[in-house]
Amino acid sequence: MGDLLYAPRQAHIEPAEFSDDLKDFAEGLSVFGRMVGETRTLANQLSRGELNIELPSHDNELAAPLKALHATLKHLAWQTKQVARGDYSQHINFMGEFADSFNDMISQLETQRHRLQQEMSLVGRQVEDLERSSSLFEAISGSMPEWIVMVDKETGEHLFVNHPPESVLASEIFEKQLFEILLEYAKPMQMSDEPRTESFSLISDVALQYFELRLYPIMWYQHEAVACVLTDVTQEMEEHSRLEDVAYRDTQTGVFNRHFGMQKLGEWVGDEKEFFLVFVDMDMLKYVNDEFGHGEGDIYIKTVADLLAGVSGEAIVSRLGGDEFMVLLAKKDAGGRDFRGMEELFEHLRDTLAASSQVNEKGEVRYARSMSIGIVDVKKGNRLSSSDLLSLADERMYNYKRAHKKDRRV
Amino acid sequence: MSNIFLKNRTINEFRWENLGDVKAGREDLGEEMPVVVYRLMQFTMLDVLTKEFGSDKANEFFTKAGFLAGSEFAKNVLDLTVDFNTFLSNLTQALVDLKIGVLRMEAFEVESGKLVLTVGQDLDCSGLPVTNETVCHYDEGFIAGILHAYTGKPYSVKEVDCWASGDRVCRFNAEVAS
Repeated sequence: MGDLLYAPRQAHIEPAEFSDDLKDFAEGLSVFGRMVGETRTLANQLSRGELNIELPSHDNELAAPLKALHATLKHLAWQTKQVARGDYSQHINFMGEFADSFNDMISQLETQRHRLQQEMSLVGRQVEDLERSSSLFEAISGSMPEWIVMVDKETGEHLFVNHPPESVLASEIFEKQLFEILLEYAKPMQMSDEPRTESFSLISDVALQYFELRLYPIMWYQHEAVACVLTDVTQEMEEHSRLEDVAYRDTQTGVFNRHFGMQKLGEWVGDEKEFFLVFVDMDMLKYVNDEFGHGEGDIYIKTVADLLAGVSGEAIVSRLGGDEFMVLLAKKDAGGRDFRGMEELFEHLRDTLAASSQVNEKGEVRYARSMSIGIVDVKKGNRLSSSDLLSLADERMYNYKRAHKKDRRV
Repeated sequence: MSNIFLKNRTINEFRWENLGDVKAGREDLGEEMPVVVYRLMQFTMLDVLTKEFGSDKANEFFTKAGFLAGSEFAKNVLDLTVDFNTFLSNLTQALVDLKIGVLRMEAFEVESGKLVLTVGQDLDCSGLPVTNETVCHYDEGFIAGILHAYTGKPYSVKEVDCWASGDRVCRFNAEVAS
């Protein structure tokens, strides 16, 4: 019995060594010793956390509570694995305080999971909303004919572009030029500024493109950015230019018409500009029309118009009537000429016109081309109105025509 | 003259509805009764069957009866459409609610479907005198019936530890029958 308690490895009893009247006692003691040994082994194994073990024999009633504990721990081990796999339905309804703590822990895990699921669901919905908004934005911006370029004010970086440049620009050489222009407009804008509208054109040897630009300052992902909305107005500008030509040009000669010429004269007078006003009257146009037909007359008119248009790229040449033209030339564009210089210039033009006179098959001049000129030098402090100035030029032209009547010959 | 409405009705062929409306029928005594009454019926029946057919055959009858009970219990009490963990949780709770026993899982292999479970405070055997034998043949069938109803696979269930064999819980090994 002592060995059973304090030296179990030595504890051994051999019933056969006992006398017959003690054999049953010895056998009972041997069974008891086996049970104590098995129970001790099981207790040691459980204390080391060993659960996959061979249990004591079924008849070992002494070990029964430890076997029940073993079963409980096996179940707990399984429950813990289940929890690790996310099965929070596990619940312990035994083992007192431990069970309370375990169940609390599971309850908290379940609550956290529920909260996380709700958050994930919320985030999922937000992501879905964002994706929907983003897709809507892309669909709208993609289908808009306008070109949207989001420019970072500080770095000049393009944060967003709704169309690739090549689909918008008439020439690839415009790309660098355009982005420089956008940055130039975007940089000085403040976040508090109202949206602004600008217009500009891109010009190269092969293409010309007009743009209208609307600038919106925007805070975007902590970037001070400017949304540049560009509209290609090239077609409109060309149409405008065509209409302007129709409205302001003389269709027969290509020079400006009377309306435009008088409008410019009025503006220049109003602006107190210094300029020369030259009244030109073609000589003998009626004769040419009568003798050689209106076709020849038209050629004669076009010849004079082209001659006058060649005076200067800056001169405003307008046809006032059938055979009357007016030339306005700002003094700064007159190449330093004074009144006398202008007279010489137009005398020279007159000679050039005369030299263009038509000859027949015998070398004889069919009719002489010439023009009469009246020049007015409009100086600073001019008090005359535009119609007065035109009348004065007309009068001088008339005097000129009279003075040169004898020069004209058929 | 026989009643046409009761034709083909017999209590011998089990039907869940034949368990009757206990609440209505036992207005004062209620739906519960002492475990000893259940055991009185079970062990007297076992005694008769054993004497009539031998113990192996009697145990086999008990296992078959348990299988039928387990299948019907699963079909009529449990939700068979939920995932395994939920099913197990519901089963554990139902066994406690009906005071059949405390079910505890010890192992489950997903691939093979093999599992080890224990039933504590078992209705059939807990507190029986130790006779060094496993006696829960009805439980073996009951568990096999439940697992078959849920998985659709034939299960073989063997009790390896029992109160009557000296343990404090009944341990069952279950695996899909080949």
